[in-house]
Amino acid sequence: MSGGLLLLATLCTSLFAAVMIFLLPERAFRARTGLNLGAALIKLSLVAWMVWGLSRGGEYSLEFPVLEGLAFALRADPLGIMFAGLSSLLWLFTTVYAIGYLEDSPNRKRFFGFFSLCVASTLGISLAGNLFTFLIFYELLTLSTYPLVVHRGTSQALAAGRVYLRFTLTAGLVLMIGMVALHALAGDIRFGEREILAGLSPDHRPLLVGLFWGLIAGFGVKAALVPLHGWLPRAMVAPAPVSALLHAVAVVKAGAFGIVRLVYDVYGIELSAELGLLTGLVVVAAVTILYGSLRALAQRELKPLLAYSTVSQVAYIVLGIGLGGPLGTIAAFSHLLHQGLMKATLFFCAGNYAEELGIHRIDGLDGAGRRMPLTSLAFTVGALGMIGLPPVVGFFSKWYLGTGAIQAGMPWVIAVLVASSLLSAVYFLPILGRLWFRPGPDHGVGEWPEERRLGRLETHPWLLVPVVATALFSLMAGMLAGVPFSPLEWATRVVNTEYLP
Amino acid sequence: MSDVLLVLTLPAALLWPLLLMLRVPLVAALADRGQPRVPLDGPWCSAPLPALLLALGVDEGTLVIDWWLLGGHWALDGTRGPLLAFTALLWLLAGGYARGYLAGEQARAVAGDGAAEARLMRFALLWPLTLSGNLLLLVAEDIASFYMGFAVMTFAAYGLVVHSQARDARIGGLAYLVMAVLGEGLILAGLLWGAGSAGTTTLGGLREGMLDAPGGAWMGLLLWLGFGVKAGVIGLHFWLPLAHPVAPTPASAVLSGAMIKAGLVGWLFTLPLGESAAGEAFVWLGRTMLVTGLVAAIGAALYGVCQRHPKAVLAYSSISQMGMITALVAMGLVAPTLWPALSAAVVLFAAHHGLTKGALFLGVGIGEHPPRLPSWLLWTLLVLPALSLTGALASGLAGKWAFKAVLDDGGHPAVVTWLSLAAVGTTALMARTLWCQWQGERQARKEGLERLVSPMPLAWLATLLAALTLPWWLGGERFRLGWPPLAELPGLLWPLALGLLGSVVVWAVARRRPLRLPRRLPPGDLWWLLEKGWQRLRALGQGNLARLASAQGTWVAWWLERERDAIRALDGMTRAEGWLRHHAAVLMMGVAVGLALLMLFAPA
Repeated sequence: MSGGLLLLATLCTSLFAAVMIFLLPERAFRARTGLNLGAALIKLSLVAWMVWGLSRGGEYSLEFPVLEGLAFALRADPLGIMFAGLSSLLWLFTTVYAIGYLEDSPNRKRFFGFFSLCVASTLGISLAGNLFTFLIFYELLTLSTYPLVVHRGTSQALAAGRVYLRFTLTAGLVLMIGMVALHALAGDIRFGEREILAGLSPDHRPLLVGLFWGLIAGFGVKAALVPLHGWLPRAMVAPAPVSALLHAVAVVKAGAFGIVRLVYDVYGIELSAELGLLTGLVVVAAVTILYGSLRALAQRELKPLLAYSTVSQVAYIVLGIGLGGPLGTIAAFSHLLHQGLMKATLFFCAGNYAEELGIHRIDGLDGAGRRMPLTSLAFTVGALGMIGLPPVVGFFSKWYLGTGAIQAGMPWVIAVLVASSLLSAVYFLPILGRLWFRPGPDHGVGEWPEERRLGRLETHPWLLVPVVATALFSLMAGMLAGVPFSPLEWATRVVNTEYLP
Repeated sequence: MSDVLLVLTLPAALLWPLLLMLRVPLVAALADRGQPRVPLDGPWCSAPLPALLLALGVDEGTLVIDWWLLGGHWALDGTRGPLLAFTALLWLLAGGYARGYLAGEQARAVAGDGAAEARLMRFALLWPLTLSGNLLLLVAEDIASFYMGFAVMTFAAYGLVVHSQARDARIGGLAYLVMAVLGEGLILAGLLWGAGSAGTTTLGGLREGMLDAPGGAWMGLLLWLGFGVKAGVIGLHFWLPLAHPVAPTPASAVLSGAMIKAGLVGWLFTLPLGESAAGEAFVWLGRTMLVTGLVAAIGAALYGVCQRHPKAVLAYSSISQMGMITALVAMGLVAPTLWPALSAAVVLFAAHHGLTKGALFLGVGIGEHPPRLPSWLLWTLLVLPALSLTGALASGLAGKWAFKAVLDDGGHPAVVTWLSLAAVGTTALMARTLWCQWQGERQARKEGLERLVSPMPLAWLATLLAALTLPWWLGGERFRLGWPPLAELPGLLWPLALGLLGSVVVWAVARRRPLRLPRRLPPGDLWWLLEKGWQRLRALGQGNLARLASAQGTWVAWWLERERDAIRALDGMTRAEGWLRHHAAVLMMGVAVGLALLMLFAPA
């Protein structure tokens, strides 16, 4: 298959699935499930094919003009395919999870339709070849996520949806203006053509700096940088698979990925460093990391805690970008994947506790390890990874960030990292203590809030399998970090081939 | 040949405990309901066996595994081998002891006590996990494996500390965990800083890189303090007397004997000891370590003799002994030329303390459940390790002579004197321990005697034997330092005599007029002060957090208000439009009339 066709096929798998799901009737459970899983598997194998092809030097690109001087461009480069791989892999698990989670609930057709639309836009974001294409899919993602956030239709969900739209749509506007201004300044910039902006005359420098921060503000909303993070903790009213989607797979990641593209592929790392933009990013990231961790400390419920932890963790990616050097870049790229694996695990677990036992609050988790051992083990893996303990993948992000900080001559960043580790230990370890060391209803103390026996195992198998799978991936990606095609190895390869001067 | 053996046995030694851990739930799941489950069975006890065989069978070798973490690099050498040998042996014997110690719990579990069964299962799972972490950190040469082993050991051991789930176990567990997390943070900072500066992933590279790096001594300080949490450096030590005594006795033995040495191992592997190229800053770090080590050695003894529980006294003795080791390690920075000879003494001393302290802790359990032995024999056996720890006989004498000879030759008699004073304190601590045990044992003897041929007494006797004969079997020529000549004996034994004399005097005084002091000095000293401070700080912090939240609320409210303003403005426009629509005709008429008037009266 030729390169362009393969790209198009990957993109259209989910689009086609979305259309078909909208056409199918609500009751067609089997057909919809088959379609969902089939599309996810096909997409995963197509992406895997492209990964293989890219590692052997293949090229995949496709473009056609939309207007004079403006093209719709798709291109699979190692960085984009990394994000595409993550989203396709996690998509498979999230789909499985969502099928189990939404069993017997109304409006499944609408849910899965928009769900597939979401993955299509995420894939579009990862494979976009220029800012214009990127933005189209970025906005599509915003619009297709809204119905998922408000899926339950309660007043709380609707309010959260309004906040979400308010934040993301205004950010979209800012991005659009920024993009148009860049276009007016330098024409259509393909990702990777870093020399265009670097070649502009020094008179444009102040304008470039202004545009940069405008665009960062635009991307920062989805990446949940403080103070633009307000929508994320509110959006936790959404069902658990949607939370996994917001936090791990698509939305937050799309923002972070946008920042990566902006710094590495539009401005270029040298120009950004020259303009002093990177130091600013490091400061913003450091503030976000500490603020998110501090706010997480004060939470009484599991999902808001995880949400603030996301605020803090996603800023690691921005921190890595800001550090600049090869090690910092490896940290940023690999954390894009690592955080996704760990956070998806944690949100799946939170969903399992809520579905099976009706637990939403942290103090309700006492002794849950005995009732749901596999889920709790997975949660333990995710939490230890967030703290940054080896062999879970979180350690590697910290390692590269720390050594990258030394390389960049900013040793104070290590203090931020250690403080963030300590804070995450302070909010995650008590949860682990409750899970494993406190007596609970299964030890004869108290009662579960709302126990449902969903399956012969500790819960419904559709809910259990994705949790165990993502936890295993987080563990294996750490233990086997040196194996080809592990996230860390691929990130290193991307940095070595594409971004080293 | 030895490399092939290493390649085969090293992974097996690390994996075997993990496999045994996985076996526990598997066996439990496969057993029929109602059938008694025995998680602590024979195979379970064999967890450290491959590691022990490895340590005794292989002297040197390295194993490189590229795909593991950041690049695995495991090694055995003259330092790691003996440390691994005594650690694995202590774990093995303590594991055997645990079978007997937890037999009562086992019986309750079989009888249908759910809580006892859960505790037992947890112990059976976490014991091998902690062990595997301990073994990994001993053989790891790459930083990631080392840190992983350290973290696994630290966090898994929490479950051993809180085993009984009583109130004091929870406090001990909390103190343990808080300090462990703090220590991990310091270690992480030191490792990241050092490894980032040196651009290395191995501990050897870290040591070398630290010498040239700007701020190298600060990295050293971070690592010293970080590992010092585990090793009980004064100021960071207070979790030890809270956590070590509350754990089940076999766990106390490995905590105080083997795991506390992980701090020492961290220093040995990360600090540039014996490097003549180390700058003045490192010498200052060494001096700081020396002083804090001696303060710990003597201060902990003074505080420890006021304790009432034998395990608390032993925990303070551990702090004191680790203080002596800290002082010896510090000499590696202060006088680098002495280090090659001194490092052998440090390893010997560490192994001696590990096994002897293990024997003493296990002996506490023996005192509580005395076996069928004549009283004089039992007490002789309980006194032997105490005497050895004071440096009067067997491995204690050999260990003490090893460092005394080196320090005397190197011209540091002052340090020797201070260490001897610490030994006086050790004697007092041992006297206090035995006294506390004596009172407990008389009570226990009335309640009945245990069989001699059962896991607990046998494991205890074996530990005792291993501890006393240590200098004869611990591998390598480095430890054949020989015995002190007779003329040196007075110089080695005066602390014992002085300590005994002091103990007898205090005992005589206390018999007349009971001392109140022990009641006022709870185990955990600083912890209680810090806890009070924390409560205050917390009250303050909560106020600030609330203020922060309200500030955020105000900020959001301000934006919402602006949005409402904007919508109001839009509404105003709609209204204005409506008004315009309504009055359009009239307005147009007005405009037309105005224009007409303008034309009429306009000057031509």
